[in-house]
Amino acid sequence: MKITMDEKERPEILSKIPPDWLAEFEAASRRPLEQRMKYAFIKTYRPVMDDASYRSFETMAEYREWCRRELPDWLGYGDI
Amino acid sequence: MATFEYKQAEEVRDAFEKNRCRYLFIGKSGAIHLGFPDTTQDADLFVEKSIRNGESLVTGLEQLGFAMTPEQAADIRGCKVFIQLKNGSFDLDLIFAPDGIEKFEDAWNRRVDVKGFHVCNLDDIIASKIASDRPKDRDSLPRLHSFGEYWRIHNSK
Repeated sequence: MKITMDEKERPEILSKIPPDWLAEFEAASRRPLEQRMKYAFIKTYRPVMDDASYRSFETMAEYREWCRRELPDWLGYGDI
Repeated sequence: MATFEYKQAEEVRDAFEKNRCRYLFIGKSGAIHLGFPDTTQDADLFVEKSIRNGESLVTGLEQLGFAMTPEQAADIRGCKVFIQLKNGSFDLDLIFAPDGIEKFEDAWNRRVDVKGFHVCNLDDIIASKIASDRPKDRDSLPRLHSFGEYWRIHNSK
């Protein structure tokens, strides 16, 4: 996918990105997809979430409600 | 449960291609395909909600080694909106109707293909995270927005 962009826009847009993030984006862009995925996908045990081998929900609202009701807040799936 | 690896992503891609499953990587797993440097536990797939696709997904998932009961296979054939699969060699979330994206066809037309993987456009990934509005989504949005700007520059003419 190629997007049209004015050359003058580029430095202005880049200047708005925090330098440490920009450095990380640049470093990631030099890595092949296989290596990026190796660094990106992690596995740690999530209480409740990882305790069943299968779940299904009729609606996203039902899934969100289940997350709010059942998962510890610190997992980040709730409201706060 | 093992971490999702490139080899498994290739297996998903190839099995789904073979069975003509219509899918898009979404969420952080989609953004990572596009170059977003971050971590995630989940491989999330936005899958087309159709009888034919539900049937193809069941075949593809069986070929990938997911051990599904008849009831679970029926959920997928029936396109239940959100399905978490942890009964294979890796975890997979199937989302038939993610928040923030109206139609699969629209997202499909805006998709980005990366090494044969079909991936949601970053605007759709961001729209979905905004609509979900969970703490973990809100945490990742500023960095995703910045990456979106960076990505647009690197993919512009």
